[in-house]
Amino acid sequence: MSDTATPTATVAAATNRAGVEALKARFGRQNWILSGVLFALLLIIPSLPFVEGWMASQASLIIIYIIAAQGVSILTGYTGLVTVGHGGFLAIGAYTSALMTQHLGTTLIPGIIAGGLMAAFIGMLLGLVFLRLAGAFMAIGTLGFAFFVGSVVNNVPIFEGRTGISLPPNSVFGLEIEDFGFYYVSVMVLLVTTLFVHSLVRSGVGRAFKALRDSEKAAESSGVNKLFFRTLSFSASAFITGIAGALNGNIVNYVSAEVYADIWYSVDILVAAIVGGSAMLFGPFLGGLFVVMVPFFLEELADFSFVLQGVVLITVLIFAPAGIADVIAAPFRNMRRRLMAAVSGGGGS
Amino acid sequence: MFGQQLMSGLATGSLYALTAVAVVVVFRNTRTINLAQGDFAMIGAFLALVFLKKFELNYYVAIALTAVCVMGVGVLVERLVMRPLAKSDWLALFTATLGVYYILHGISGWIWGRDTKGFPVTFDPTPVHLFGTIVSEGHLVNMAWVTAIGVVLYVFFKYTKQGIAMRAITDDPDTAELMGIPVKFIVTLTWAMSGFLAAFAGILVAPIIYVAPEMMDEVLIKGYVAAVFGGLYSIPGAIIGALLIGVTENLAGGYLGAHYKSATPFVMIVVLLAFRPQGLFGIQHRREV
Repeated sequence: MSDTATPTATVAAATNRAGVEALKARFGRQNWILSGVLFALLLIIPSLPFVEGWMASQASLIIIYIIAAQGVSILTGYTGLVTVGHGGFLAIGAYTSALMTQHLGTTLIPGIIAGGLMAAFIGMLLGLVFLRLAGAFMAIGTLGFAFFVGSVVNNVPIFEGRTGISLPPNSVFGLEIEDFGFYYVSVMVLLVTTLFVHSLVRSGVGRAFKALRDSEKAAESSGVNKLFFRTLSFSASAFITGIAGALNGNIVNYVSAEVYADIWYSVDILVAAIVGGSAMLFGPFLGGLFVVMVPFFLEELADFSFVLQGVVLITVLIFAPAGIADVIAAPFRNMRRRLMAAVSGGGGS
Repeated sequence: MFGQQLMSGLATGSLYALTAVAVVVVFRNTRTINLAQGDFAMIGAFLALVFLKKFELNYYVAIALTAVCVMGVGVLVERLVMRPLAKSDWLALFTATLGVYYILHGISGWIWGRDTKGFPVTFDPTPVHLFGTIVSEGHLVNMAWVTAIGVVLYVFFKYTKQGIAMRAITDDPDTAELMGIPVKFIVTLTWAMSGFLAAFAGILVAPIIYVAPEMMDEVLIKGYVAAVFGGLYSIPGAIIGALLIGVTENLAGGYLGAHYKSATPFVMIVVLLAFRPQGLFGIQHRREV
């Protein structure tokens, strides 16, 4: 509001600002509506006549990978720390929930919460230990962590090694559930974790994460506490993946070192995050679909399926370097940007 | 007991060293953590098996042919996969090598099947007494090969034009290019070298374990740990890291029990990185920003 500005220009600028704000609000509403429609579809589809039990289980498996990849995306996409060890947190979630069921007789929901919290705690410790690691060193360090977790569950008696722990059928609020029930629980958990990630990355905490990602030095010198936010990122990321782990153990009612000492969980989750697009809320959804469904469709080709998986993975990396979600979102983003420019640029001339 | 464990540890460690050195050579010139390094070696073992059993070639001829073929695999991977991605960040490069891992795994399983095969080269099983310890002839032969390769690498990096160019690229790729070093050619050469090292890793590991698509998975992981242990940029560091891991692993297996053997390298790397985030011989300012 300077004295030199002509009254008409000031008024025009004000209306434009209002126009831009209105447009932004509209885009925000559109995003919410789209997400709402997506989740509504997820809830409605199973009641269609042709859907069978195994499809619900397969869908639950995809959701588990989506949640796990959401965990990775907090660390890799938003904070810029690459983890090849999130299979370790998946195992921690699965075993926490399994041991609680075995020894305390808890059910699915408390198991999920406890699995997430235990993973968050270990994640906090790991974040502190690896505070100064960067780049490839972080990748190998977290890989070491996953193997360490693997050999703990293999060798410490309480985890029952390769024999594994068998669990009773799942129940929620006293009701025994099977594949469809488990699917609905998974969708609800996915809804919660998606809202969690959404609000986290848009909060001040999320801005601190992104600042650390884009330039650690600049972030630190503008007062971002690296110790606090890196540890928090590790913890939040482990929390989400731990939740996925608890679901993963309960979907088959069985956990064993045979499954969780394997490095492939860590790799698959990372691939899901990267291929989908780890710096976008929608990315892990596509990534989870990708890592579960590509092997599923190629299964009959046996060894040749590995070759095709490799080719598909490399092709995606070459043509969609920021993830599939980015390629899909790009035209919409450009359209919105043009609309914004039209509204804000109109008053200037 | 201690001497014995030390000796077996060195023997195992020298096998990790081949992979660790290859990981370092590729990483420092191309920013790529090569997940397919073990699969290069696995392809090498299968090819050597074909040369020895099907064509009944002489052992040394088979080794030479295998080395040439696997170098070719390295060059192909560079041309078809890594070069289109050259401008990407290191995470994309890393993930792309995972794609190569899948492809090579699939191809070998497809051609040669999933069941494990024995490797025909058998050494004299009578143990050799050395410095008061007992070593198998196979281990001695392996250690001799690895030492010889170490000398070749030393001469290459110290005295040849290509070796010096490779080191220049490691130090400063932009300046190296401005000084007229053919960076693209040297990068191709780097991948060929990783193939060369992998061929030997495969041929030397095969008689000790077996030949199968997943034969190198464990050796590869230990190779990474060794490379990071040494700082990821240093070849001597990678060799020392590999020997250290071999020895510690064997000592832990001998004194604490076999259960602890496999976890030892990972405990070591986690503890080391907690205190020295740049590895044992790494330099702080080299950290990627």
